[in-house]
Amino acid sequence: MTLLVVLLASSTLLLLAVSMSFVLGWANKAFHVEVDPRVEQIDAVLPGANCAGCGYIGCTDYAEGVVNDGASVALCAPGGESCAEAVAEIMGVEVEETWPYRAVVHCGATLPQRLGVNDYRGERTCTAANLVAGYQGCVYGCLGLGDCVEACTFDAMKMIWGLVQIDYEKCTGCGACVETCPRGIISRIPFKAERVLVVSCSNEDFGNDVRKVCKVGCIGCGACAKLSDLFTMDANLPTLDYHGAAVEEGDFEKSMEKCPMESLLYVGKPSAEDLAATIDEELPGRVEPDFETTVDQAEWRG
Amino acid sequence: MELFADLLLIAIGAALVNNFVLTYFVGLCPFLGVSRRLDTAFGMGCAVTFVISVAALLSWTMTEFVLRPGAPLPNWVWSSLNPAAEAGEVDLSVLSYIVYIFVIASSVQLVEMYVRKFFPPLYKSFGVFLPLITTNCAILFACLEIMKHVVARDWGLPESLTLAIFGGVGFTIAIVLMAGIREELELCEVPESLRGAAITMIVAGILALAFMGFSGIGANVEKLLNP
Repeated sequence: MTLLVVLLASSTLLLLAVSMSFVLGWANKAFHVEVDPRVEQIDAVLPGANCAGCGYIGCTDYAEGVVNDGASVALCAPGGESCAEAVAEIMGVEVEETWPYRAVVHCGATLPQRLGVNDYRGERTCTAANLVAGYQGCVYGCLGLGDCVEACTFDAMKMIWGLVQIDYEKCTGCGACVETCPRGIISRIPFKAERVLVVSCSNEDFGNDVRKVCKVGCIGCGACAKLSDLFTMDANLPTLDYHGAAVEEGDFEKSMEKCPMESLLYVGKPSAEDLAATIDEELPGRVEPDFETTVDQAEWRG
Repeated sequence: MELFADLLLIAIGAALVNNFVLTYFVGLCPFLGVSRRLDTAFGMGCAVTFVISVAALLSWTMTEFVLRPGAPLPNWVWSSLNPAAEAGEVDLSVLSYIVYIFVIASSVQLVEMYVRKFFPPLYKSFGVFLPLITTNCAILFACLEIMKHVVARDWGLPESLTLAIFGGVGFTIAIVLMAGIREELELCEVPESLRGAAITMIVAGILALAFMGFSGIGANVEKLLNP
């Protein structure tokens, strides 16, 4: 009897194993999916941060997009030039001329330069503060509560005097902050030079109204546009077409001198002169956090 | 009508009163591991429900015809080899665990290949969870529960499938609830010593306590159906 059970049990298992392997083997052939080996290769050279800066869901999705839909090989911002070259090599194409994209902030007013700032006791995020009327006079500019700092996965953003500053050595141009900013004052632009000129204001109101809410906001005088063809005035703000002709350093000297609000700023790598000017300055050893300049996560919420 | 009443009771029992996760504490690893975000939790729940149904169908067939004491297949083999043997003396139920694991693993493989071929978007959304389900004890638990009733000769295929499907639905309910709570929990200030796994276990315990409130529903539904 024992022998019988052993025999029957082992033959049952054997039969089950044979039939299942037959079924799975058949299924493996019948349901075989062709995967382009290039997708896996491209996936391997991408950074794998899944930041979605390229517009695809993740790195694998972008790899499929390159192979199947003919997406550009140079969309990966964190990967940069070397990554684009590697992808282009796998695909057997040339890299078209590309520029690294970086985020720039179109607001230049630090906390003391903003007017009409009120006491705010709500949730300490920009998204919440943006819903409240009267947080500060300017309804276009930076709120200074650091949603973008939270969104940045590369630790490239900092709040200094209530205004966000970008560390261009860390910024990869993934665009997470651009998506997050409830006021839409951060944009991604191609850095065609080490330093790029930025109009550091987003206020679309007329000069008089701007002066009421900000000490440094663009009043829309149009002086810069008169002196340089590269500026176009739109909604009381000068705009630069970064995608058009190469916007190189040095074209804007006159406009910058003329700008009454000094709203035209260079961002990016500091020039040699700037470095020379600040080299002797003593940096403070340690800065104690205070309520106005830091957004402390441990703070009570209203 | 009686079958329908039975099925309803089994369904309510499996989904709410005796929820696999929160009453029997099976399938805890995906319950804690994949409940960080709502959409992935829902995907996992759906995948488990699907696999549990397929596995229940296969394991019911195996139990009914091969594994239970007095099952037709081995007894037929035995009696044809030995005409003098008594009917129904062969019992292969010792094999139940290994056969169920075998059946679950191969059905997961099959389902994965099938979904990958014919529903690529679905594969993309829960393809990563499918291999995880192979070792999900909730599914083995459902198979063993079905076996218990098949051996006692009181359940057929409809009852077994109902238990499996609604067990899966109960798992989905539990994991989605958990994911919702954990998403909110990310915004809370949890004391440092409780952060991470600790607070998750506490929340799971409280959730299980809440599900105890469903006990007694079964009896009342029975009263309602058979006044």
